Amino acid sequence: MQYMLMIHEDESIYAGPDGEAILADTLAKHMALAEAWVAAGVPFSGERLKPSATATTIRWNHGSHQLHDGAYAESHEELGGFYIITVDDLDQALEWAKRIPVPGKGSVEVRPIWPMGAEG
Amino acid sequence: MDARGGAGAAIIAARPVVVAALAARFRDLDLAEDGFADASELALRQFAHHPLPANMAGWLHVAARRRIIDRLRRDARLVRIVEQSGLEPEADAEEPDAVSDFDPRIPDERLRLIFICCHPAIAPDARAALTLRVVCGVPTERIAAAFLMAVPAMYQRLTRAKAKIREAQVPFETPPQHLWGERLAAVLTTLEIGYALAYQDAGSSEPTADLGLEVLRLAAMLAELVPGDPEVLGLAALVQLAESRRAARIDRDGCMVPLSEQDAARWDAALIASAATLMEQAAALGCSGPYQVMAALHLTHARRRNGQRTDWQAIVRLYDVLLMMRPGAVVAINRALALAQVEGPRAGFDALEALQGPALDRYRPWHAARAYLQAAMGDMAAARASYRAALALNPPRAERLYLEAAFRETSA
Repeated sequence: MQYMLMIHEDESIYAGPDGEAILADTLAKHMALAEAWVAAGVPFSGERLKPSATATTIRWNHGSHQLHDGAYAESHEELGGFYIITVDDLDQALEWAKRIPVPGKGSVEVRPIWPMGAEG
Repeated sequence: MDARGGAGAAIIAARPVVVAALAARFRDLDLAEDGFADASELALRQFAHHPLPANMAGWLHVAARRRIIDRLRRDARLVRIVEQSGLEPEADAEEPDAVSDFDPRIPDERLRLIFICCHPAIAPDARAALTLRVVCGVPTERIAAAFLMAVPAMYQRLTRAKAKIREAQVPFETPPQHLWGERLAAVLTTLEIGYALAYQDAGSSEPTADLGLEVLRLAAMLAELVPGDPEVLGLAALVQLAESRRAARIDRDGCMVPLSEQDAARWDAALIASAATLMEQAAALGCSGPYQVMAALHLTHARRRNGQRTDWQAIVRLYDVLLMMRPGAVVAINRALALAQVEGPRAGFDALEALQGPALDRYRPWHAARAYLQAAMGDMAAARASYRAALALNPPRAERLYLEAAFRETSA
């Protein structure tokens, strides 16, 4: 089963006085996590996203749409990146998700991916 | 005994073991529940006029398994479940109605089923409802009544929880040892919700009274399955002690009787003794926790059953410990009431007044405690106002009758 691990973090923590050190530390932990996946034979992929200020949102309303500057929702936790991993079940996905570094406050959402070709 | 009633009781008793074994095997809660329901119907028909089998659980297990496999064969949409669970088609294609033999060795998967229903990925309230439904077999209507919810809403909550388990692929395995801390904590909070629901109303009408017995059974089952965890034993003892007082909690008119005024002779001595044994076992494991402290509080009160005076000083000390473990308004209010027994109503009232919190004003136990202590201090006008405030906050019937009687006394 594939799960998407969505990392919602407080971007401003990287802009603070210790921002660079926190970023370096967080990235190192991401590298270590990737190595752990390789060592455990867990298939994975993932990306880091640019800050939410670079986002453009297309908002649909019954067929018509408008473009907006910024992420889809204003919040203090922005989607900063994601992984997709293939594991046996939710418990394994949660165990891995707990190892994702989140400096300060934030959250990691774990969602099963709808398998291609599966019936509804 | 009426054979049908006998079969009914045997079926209810067999349910947790059978449903758990079916769920573990077929990896689907709905299939397990439906299969059990089919088998129960069959048993009720078959044993209405025949003696019960020696092993009802074994009989139901075989009958349910056959019914489920039969269903799987007929229902092409369920092929996926067969493939995923690696099930071999069963050789015995005989009519499910012709169950004559049974396997006496059903694997005990109850703990596994409890862990699935109490997975922390499911919201706590939904967990409690799901556990009562799937493990205990409490009808959805009764669970809805206990949660003060409409039946369709409760049905939807249960359906959603089951869908989450299925779609997010909550594993049907017993969690590995290193996850037990978190997972067992989720099980205990689930049971605590059931316990709170069952005992929130002294004059509980049918749904919650039944729920008390279910929670009692469930807690005892967990203590049997996880005897090495002191908090599991503590919670089981706590539920037994609460249940031991059920008969004494209301008087003939349906009016609530506070613990300290209850007739101890009406408390269930066997349940108290059993709880005391559980707590000794827990203490021997040498790790305290809030459930053990709460059970110790109840047990201190229960000693009155043996003619001993209530040791209020010990109770205050236990509340102090509990406050450190679990700070909260209920604990602080109860501590103030205990303190009043040791140092007089003024000390208790001062402790109450020292509490702070924006929601206290809307909290019935706070007003009721103030009223009680104000009356004890002789300030009847203030007590009347506090009783009025408590009565304005929609108490359940038994508590309302008690508050009204106390209110009248302040005017006497």
